Amino acid sequence: MIKISGISKKFKLYNKPIDRLKEIILRKKYHHIYNALHDISFEVKDGETLGILGVNGAGKSTLLKIISGVLIPDSGSLSIDGKITGLLELGTGFNKDLTGLQNIVGNGLLIGMSTEEIDQQRDNIIDFSELGEFIKEPLRTYSSGMVMRLAFSIAMHAKPDCFLIDEALSVGDAHFQQKCMRHIKTFKQQGGSLIFVSHDLNAVKMICDHAIVLDKGHIVAKGSPEYAVNHYNRIMAQLDDQDKRITATENQTNNQDYGNHKAKIINAVISGVDSESNIVSSGEKIDIQIEIMPYEMLTDMSIGILIRDRFGQDIYGTNSEHLMQTSVFEKEQPYIATFSFVAAINPGKYTVTIALHSQNTHIEDCYHWVDNIIGFEVAGFKGTQFVGVCDLNASLIVNNALNNSYGVFNK
Amino acid sequence: MKNSLIMYLVKQDLIDSYSGSILGGLWSFIIPLVNITVFIVIFSKIMGAKLNVLGVDFQEYSYSIYLVSGVLAWNYFSNTLVRITNIFNEKAGLITKVNTNLLVLPLYIIISESVIFFISMSFFLLFLLIIGFPVTKYWMVLIIIYFLQSIFAYGLGLFLATLSVFIKDISEFTRVIVQLWFWFTPLVYVMDILPEKYKIIFELNPMYHIVNAYRDVIVRSQLPDMYSLSLFFIFSMFLFLCAVYFFRKLEKDIRDFI
Repeated sequence: MIKISGISKKFKLYNKPIDRLKEIILRKKYHHIYNALHDISFEVKDGETLGILGVNGAGKSTLLKIISGVLIPDSGSLSIDGKITGLLELGTGFNKDLTGLQNIVGNGLLIGMSTEEIDQQRDNIIDFSELGEFIKEPLRTYSSGMVMRLAFSIAMHAKPDCFLIDEALSVGDAHFQQKCMRHIKTFKQQGGSLIFVSHDLNAVKMICDHAIVLDKGHIVAKGSPEYAVNHYNRIMAQLDDQDKRITATENQTNNQDYGNHKAKIINAVISGVDSESNIVSSGEKIDIQIEIMPYEMLTDMSIGILIRDRFGQDIYGTNSEHLMQTSVFEKEQPYIATFSFVAAINPGKYTVTIALHSQNTHIEDCYHWVDNIIGFEVAGFKGTQFVGVCDLNASLIVNNALNNSYGVFNK
Repeated sequence: MKNSLIMYLVKQDLIDSYSGSILGGLWSFIIPLVNITVFIVIFSKIMGAKLNVLGVDFQEYSYSIYLVSGVLAWNYFSNTLVRITNIFNEKAGLITKVNTNLLVLPLYIIISESVIFFISMSFFLLFLLIIGFPVTKYWMVLIIIYFLQSIFAYGLGLFLATLSVFIKDISEFTRVIVQLWFWFTPLVYVMDILPEKYKIIFELNPMYHIVNAYRDVIVRSQLPDMYSLSLFFIFSMFLFLCAVYFFRKLEKDIRDFI
């Protein structure tokens, strides 16, 4: 169990190292204060996982360092039952000239294992790392992935009561990541407390029981992972309103933009109904609002969107023609078109291409076409999970084949 | 911080830092051996007969014995001091990642340097036995002198280490001071060559009393001056407590600043 109450931390910032000396001798203030954390309180019970979200500089690392005892808070108290190990100290003290086996001892001792524990866990660590015969080779012969695997394996077997995980989990291949995830889940089931810091919103939703959002050293949201993630997305959206809700006008220089400009896309905004930003959950309703300005009267104009994934693959596209929503556009009258749909697609980054053209294809008469005008990200699931590109909304019925008439094994 | 971690750091310092080389940890033995051999061979041949300063005349080795008995103790002290001064900067990678007891951390340097010192002293003892130099029961007292000297090095080192987190120059400054200190301590020369009026200044140097105590035991086969050793002990303890107090005051800032 981890209990944090009222922790605050300030850093004194000096322009030059000598200022610090001057301050001591001349007793004059030469620093300015940076408030890294302000009155932070929370509790993580045994078997619980707390997620910490926050943009860079929000105070996440400072908080973790205070919990792990590397930094001392200015005020407030923290109580931690039992041993605490952090994945933030991954590979601390690794010596590349020593073999994997020797480094297990060194790193293990540094992260708080006893010699006996290291002896007990050695075989498990080697197994988990999947390094095989390489464990007897010096670390400098390892690939960076192998070094990380070894570091992880040691940390995973340190048997702490509380575990701090910082971002780190994003390294390693998918197979190894999943293995770590399984190990973490077992750790939770055995009653260990976990603090998980990540930008991977999907992982936060999957692992955590609660989450907090830090912003400029304050806790600005506290609650279910879903709630925290949405709040975090809102902060992200406000933070870089300009470059996240990309507008058509500023983007025209960067993106493929062509057509005869009989009508123009003035602006486009994408927003999740719950998250109110361009980071949404899979299964959340999304609105794409497009501002259009026709420069002639157009009777056959079709508005189309095309969603592509990060590999540039077309995921979904539709237009007014397909949706049977064609209308007449008056000359120089602004219009707003809104496409609404459920983002039943897998987590990842996507772009939206928007086009105005005659009929149902852009080939005959293209008014305006802008590639990748806006981007959005799907992070985590709301509702049922699935694998693959999109949610085909499957249902499942399982019947006992012997006792009813539907089974193929009927006698 | 556990003992096993301190011992691991010592091992890393003495053995692992030579890993990959053929002789490995043996280098930790070879370097002091070469040092002593150089002192003894060079100085016994070149300067041996010219100095008769010991009160004990022991053939051409008189000066070598005088020199080595002081220099070994000095090397232990100066290496420990210089390394402890830089310890927080050197181990920043560790301190910023793992919860380390910063007061215990310097112990690994003391232990590591003590091992080298012990090896050197063993070689020296072997040499003395070979040439038939009297080795008396007073050698037992060396352990006390060694402890006093270690407290002094730790206290002064901790004080400088705390400062050097905020003023990086302290580390280089200490190196320079240690060089000067070497020449202001009668290691290669004898006190008798100094004018009487300056002797009092030299006696304010704590290391003079330590080196002198080593020589009382090793060279002159007598008990060291207990009065000056007691003063040294009081002074070292005072310095030690001040350094710990000073460190405690600044620990939070040290951790922030590294």
